[in-house]
Amino acid sequence: MSSGVETPAVAQYRPQAPFLDELFEADGTPRPTALALIEELGRLGPEGLMDAGRRRDAIFMQQGITFETSSVSGASHERPFPLDLVPRVLNGEEWRAIKRGLAQRIRALNHFVDDVYHAREIVREGIVPWRLVASCSHFARAVHGIRPPGGVYTHVAGCDLVRHSDGTWKVIEDNVRIPSGISYVLENRAAMARLVPELFASYRVRRVDHYPQLLLGALRSVAPSAESEATVVVWTPGPANPAYFEHAFLARQMGVELVEASDLVVRDDVLYMRTTRGLERAHAVYRRIDDDFVDPLEFRPDSLLGVPGLLRAYRAGSVAIANALGTGVADDKAIYCFVPDMIRFYLGEEPILENVRTYLLSDPEMLEHVLGRLEELVVKPTGESGGKGVMIGPHASEVEIERMRRRITADPERWIAQDVVRLSTVPTVGADGVLAPRHVDLRPFAVFGERIDIVPGGLTRVALEEGSLIVNSSRGGGSKDTWVLEDGDDADRAGPPIADTQPPALPDLRYGAWVGQQQQQQQQQNRESD
Amino acid sequence: MHFAIRFLTEYHYKAPVTDNLNALRVRPATTSTQRCDEFHTRIEPEARVSRYLDYFGTEVLEFGIPSAHDHLTIDVRARVVTSAPPEPPDGSWESLRSSSYVDAAGEFALPWQDQPPIPGLEDLDAALEADSPLETLELLCELVPERFEYRPGATYVGSTVEHLLEVGAGVCQDFAHLSLVLLRRRGIAARYVSGYLWAAPQEEGENSVEVDTHAWLEALLPGTDGHGEPVWVSADPTNRRLTGETHVKIGHGRFYADVPPVKGLYLGGAASELSAAVTMSRLDPQASARA
Amino acid sequence: MLARIAHELYWLGRNLARAEFTARAAEAVFHSELQGASDSRPGVSFGSGGLMAMLGDVDEGSSSIEALGQITLDPEHPGSMLASIERAREGARTVRDVISAEMWEAINTTTLRLRGGSQPGWTAPSGPYMASQYVKERTALIWGVANRTMLRDEAKYFLDAGGLIEVSDMVLRMLRVALPPGDSTAADGHALILLQAVGGFHAYLRAVTAPPNAHPVARFLLFERAYPDSVAACVDSLHEVFTRADAGPRNSKPVLRVSRLAADLDFQRRALPEGAELTGICEQAQQELARIDQDVAERYFAGAASAGDRR
Repeated sequence: MSSGVETPAVAQYRPQAPFLDELFEADGTPRPTALALIEELGRLGPEGLMDAGRRRDAIFMQQGITFETSSVSGASHERPFPLDLVPRVLNGEEWRAIKRGLAQRIRALNHFVDDVYHAREIVREGIVPWRLVASCSHFARAVHGIRPPGGVYTHVAGCDLVRHSDGTWKVIEDNVRIPSGISYVLENRAAMARLVPELFASYRVRRVDHYPQLLLGALRSVAPSAESEATVVVWTPGPANPAYFEHAFLARQMGVELVEASDLVVRDDVLYMRTTRGLERAHAVYRRIDDDFVDPLEFRPDSLLGVPGLLRAYRAGSVAIANALGTGVADDKAIYCFVPDMIRFYLGEEPILENVRTYLLSDPEMLEHVLGRLEELVVKPTGESGGKGVMIGPHASEVEIERMRRRITADPERWIAQDVVRLSTVPTVGADGVLAPRHVDLRPFAVFGERIDIVPGGLTRVALEEGSLIVNSSRGGGSKDTWVLEDGDDADRAGPPIADTQPPALPDLRYGAWVGQQQQQQQQQNRESD
Repeated sequence: MHFAIRFLTEYHYKAPVTDNLNALRVRPATTSTQRCDEFHTRIEPEARVSRYLDYFGTEVLEFGIPSAHDHLTIDVRARVVTSAPPEPPDGSWESLRSSSYVDAAGEFALPWQDQPPIPGLEDLDAALEADSPLETLELLCELVPERFEYRPGATYVGSTVEHLLEVGAGVCQDFAHLSLVLLRRRGIAARYVSGYLWAAPQEEGENSVEVDTHAWLEALLPGTDGHGEPVWVSADPTNRRLTGETHVKIGHGRFYADVPPVKGLYLGGAASELSAAVTMSRLDPQASARA
Repeated sequence: MLARIAHELYWLGRNLARAEFTARAAEAVFHSELQGASDSRPGVSFGSGGLMAMLGDVDEGSSSIEALGQITLDPEHPGSMLASIERAREGARTVRDVISAEMWEAINTTTLRLRGGSQPGWTAPSGPYMASQYVKERTALIWGVANRTMLRDEAKYFLDAGGLIEVSDMVLRMLRVALPPGDSTAADGHALILLQAVGGFHAYLRAVTAPPNAHPVARFLLFERAYPDSVAACVDSLHEVFTRADAGPRNSKPVLRVSRLAADLDFQRRALPEGAELTGICEQAQQELARIDQDVAERYFAGAASAGDRR
């Protein structure tokens, strides 16, 4: 079945062994689920793809879906968000397995956070050393003993997944502080529908645009008030923040106020917004601001982005904060090693999703072993996110490896090492419109309110440079729309659609012809013929 | 020894301010060698004071004054009874690696301010060589006041240990921080203590004296001969000795910022003038005989 | 002013409003039908079939893409967006000396572009979608120009009146097609598609704390006075406009009938219990609007047999 596939855009596509390609088999034939898509891409051809790309850039610039990059000279400018037009396709069965694994993992992480700030049972049992927890930069002593409503800490979670060359999905990193990127998931889908609707023709792709309602529902359910009366706000550091677009987007989509620190004040341990009608209470805050800056009385005293006394209101239980303060203790990269143990300890289950093999360098034996193999491993600082400070052994120069060796030896507690994962690839449009394999990861988004809901798919991040494994947008990565296909078997879909009803008989549309003159003439004529 | 302590702070603001939020860590703790019997707070303008125990177990008083005001008075009174601490245990260096020690030490043994290395620290460290952790602690209490001058104004509240070594002078807070760094380097868990120190009055017959809040430290020493639990032993390098009944502890933490006596914020650009006085009074009559 | 000119202006308003409504609804349905069904249960049914039913044509055989193509760019289909724009242009040409030159140009340009077929990409599968976007933008421009450059006299009143009646009729049609019949509280699933079809998503979120399910959305579109395109808001504005345009409003049948409809809607808004059935109200309101249209023709357009006429 190769007729539609011989166009330049796809004809020369060859997956790169040993990496798994998600749309093509190793011999270059399209996978069955992807066949219709590949054919349509072939029909579009390099010209069509490049043209759609230009339209995409124009639309994104117009809508302000951009991000700041700094060029070599240091000057920063806005670029349209790099959305690649070839989607990544997952079938229903694959997705269900991922979903179950994620829900399990998030539940365990939530338990862990609660435990760390209360009874510390996992420490007492000798599973996680207390020193490791206490030395996490995000361990927040100020929230010790506080239990947020519903016992939910990780309201929004984005656990990053990768697919290894053997086909298994592994979790590469947990993000439960302020995971970002959902706005791109939603905007990417909307853009794809506008730019290349023909790609959707042979597929039933599950929707993603219910995310804002999910988030709003979760925030309302944890707010300390009657659900219908809860005032929810999105708290942003302001327009200078690189993720501001997303903060504003979510506030708009949920229909809630977007507030900055100067809009908020705490009086008598209750949080208020300053409005034209005086102070109005805020019951739940979706905060996109780091713990450290949240309250100058309890955290960094020099923070101008915080609200003095917020922690008092939080302690008094008069406001719900999502994600809870102090959840960063669960996404520390050293703590990541213990997540499978957490699943066994808190849930009594075996982990469905595996970790990538990770080496804790605080252990002297591990340290020895790792130092001997630096050029084969990935090294990451424990307290950072966004790909900062990461060294990928196989791609690093000797100088870089030496430098890393010195850094690690000087301060082993601040680093972990991981086996390199052979990230899967997905065809990606190159500058000439021809498709080439590029590495991807996946960040699904989960909302934890009364239960855990996960948006189908999530953000697929793609490394735009050939051979590169770094997918973060701040380091030159792009993204793709992620399709999860409907199948007949989805038990969790919300019941059958309402029966197709016969529309009622409506009056005909009117068109307003002016026939006044004619009638009068007729009358005249009749008269005359009398 | 019985003490009455009065912690009186007054702020005057050049122009009215609002939303004045404060957290106080001033109440004497109740420990194995100390008991706080009475405790009263008066705030003016009137404010509701709420209390809770923080992560380190220190009692915190919180209050806020939303409406406009141009002065704030914080008046805290307490009565406390202290007793002499027991003889410190004299365990070995090896015991520092035992699991019971590591468990008890927790985060207080974590390295602090050791990256990048501080110039001059190696020398100090070398002078603390001793046969046991207790000896090192005692040496420390001699060494620090030897090498550093007690001079208010040489450093400021945010000074690092590196700064102290550069200047060669500082106050009790700096001495305590330096001691923590030196002890932890050797694997001895140590924590910062904030409290009040009774200094005998200058004049005979007086039993009241004005003091400042004082800073010292507690080091975790292993049990003698490997028996017994590790014990937190108080030491005061500023005053060249292990502590006694004259030290009244408020609370501890990793460093100063974990246990500041007063922390606050207000809204309004006006500058504030502060007058603070802590008065300690001996309540047992035999006191004046002892120095 | 001449009855004939008033009639033209009225119908210009109606055609512009109809084109805009069709454009927005087609865009919403296009997006909705491209992807799979929503994870959360929908409480209304509104797709390309429903849109066709609204515009009077239930062609059983068409696919969704074909239907959308007909509704937007088929010149032979009298209810299509293109046909409405053409009629608007015809009317505008007749009243060129009454509307401003800017307005005429705006309408004319829109028509010529829409006819074009020379637009790159409009023949592509996403053609109906892009044409809808274009019409949405242009009608906003045309009304904007009207509001800025036209004198607020009889001419403007009739133009506005046409737009207001058409919007309320369209909203009522949409509700009648989309809402489940009877008092089925079981089907209180979401009704986002309706809000997207009229462009009222953000207004709804700001006005109503309840999630966008069928009942609250229907109530919003019927009764929320603060939302300019709700039926109640349109009827209120209609009353104001006719009161001003009419020489003797106290005895004017259309004015009185509009006033009564406004009062009825207000009463229903207050008196209706939470989950009450709304399709009956929609039907009655639509019938009243039809009578109002007839009254308008009789009173202002010299009783022309335009009422109920069909081309």
